[in-house]
Amino acid sequence: MRFERDRKNQTRIYYVIDEDECVECSVCLRSGCCPTEALHQPELVWPRTVRKNFSDPLKIHPETRIPGRGTEEMKTNEVTGRYRRGMYGMAFELGRPGVGARFRDVEKVAMALAALGIGFEENNPVTKLMADRKQGRINPEVLDEKVLSAIVEFMIPADKLPEVLSVLDRVSREIDTVFSGDIIARVGEDGSVPYAREIAARGRFLSINGKSNVGLGRPLATV
Amino acid sequence: MTHTLHRRGDRDSLSRDYIVFTMSAKGLNEEGSAERMKKFLGILLEHDPVNYGDMVTGNCHVKSREEILGNIQSTSIVHGVFTEERAVIEILAKLKAADLGMSVVVTGIHDETEKSCRQSGLAKHTVENSLGIFGQYRKLPADEVLQLTTMCGHGMVPANLVERMLVEIKRGKKTPREGALELTRPCHCGIYNPVRAEQLLGRLVPLVTLDA
Repeated sequence: MRFERDRKNQTRIYYVIDEDECVECSVCLRSGCCPTEALHQPELVWPRTVRKNFSDPLKIHPETRIPGRGTEEMKTNEVTGRYRRGMYGMAFELGRPGVGARFRDVEKVAMALAALGIGFEENNPVTKLMADRKQGRINPEVLDEKVLSAIVEFMIPADKLPEVLSVLDRVSREIDTVFSGDIIARVGEDGSVPYAREIAARGRFLSINGKSNVGLGRPLATV
Repeated sequence: MTHTLHRRGDRDSLSRDYIVFTMSAKGLNEEGSAERMKKFLGILLEHDPVNYGDMVTGNCHVKSREEILGNIQSTSIVHGVFTEERAVIEILAKLKAADLGMSVVVTGIHDETEKSCRQSGLAKHTVENSLGIFGQYRKLPADEVLQLTTMCGHGMVPANLVERMLVEIKRGKKTPREGALELTRPCHCGIYNPVRAEQLLGRLVPLVTLDA
């Protein structure tokens, strides 16, 4: 937002929403924060529609049929069998927390990972925007669009983790935003978390808190 | 989306922050899941969550209980937030007994949720951790503010709103409880923890100085 002076009435000053920075999350509209109800969301047309798809959690992605920006990932793993032992799920959420990201930066991260031969999650909205999934290239029409967050999601064999982290460290210095990293694993037969020791050995941050699927979903997949 | 991951804070603060939620696996156990998710929320409500909601409808600080329960659909993600480990243990035991066939995820400090699972006769199946933040840290607000904003994983609670609440509390226009509730409302799915927010705001307010 910025202030502007009314050209006809120079004593009048008003807020203007910077359309280039606005990610169309609609939180201002829902909050009812404007006392004069002056806020208005113009009808969105392509490619600007991707802003809302990736920023407004109420928007259900037509491809994933999930409200929000991601996939079911580990939340239903005992039913889908998506993450099996020996594999790690990884997600890197460009723009999170709260900064936002242009798809140009999303593409930089995706291309750096693609160079490692990574296969991106098929059912992820960012993957659906890729023009070339092998190279991690995003549809050029959306590269300048800014969104609140966009998740680059994939799975790797456990032994590829050091290589992936090294690439992410490098590319994180080449982008003009932040991203949050997630790691997912099926727990070991002894209840251990497979990646915990390796992350600790490398002196890297691993949160003390996180998500745990407690295995109550049915039908059970074999994982 | 990993909307309940990346909540920041120290162990003491995070130990009063649990989320229990469910969703259907699309194409696998979706049929009839709305009814089962209603039962799930019914069990959560027996334990007085400090916040709850459904991503489809909204949170309990904006929508009524009837609206939330009445609008649960197969695409819903239904959540409840709790501050006591005991409540989580009892909920997990009830969910196990209810055998709803829905995936259940618990977010909290891992060694504490591990204990909760054991005490309710469950075992973790799949886990997820945050690897932290990468990139241009200069674009981030102070970590004390991030602890308040990251409780909404969709980024609906901006740093500016946190700063505004701090000023209003400092000026005596709002109590920390009122400030915490104002931060809770924009987090549509109902995973924001207003009790923790009140504590975090209470810690921060004495540190804030206002210009004349």
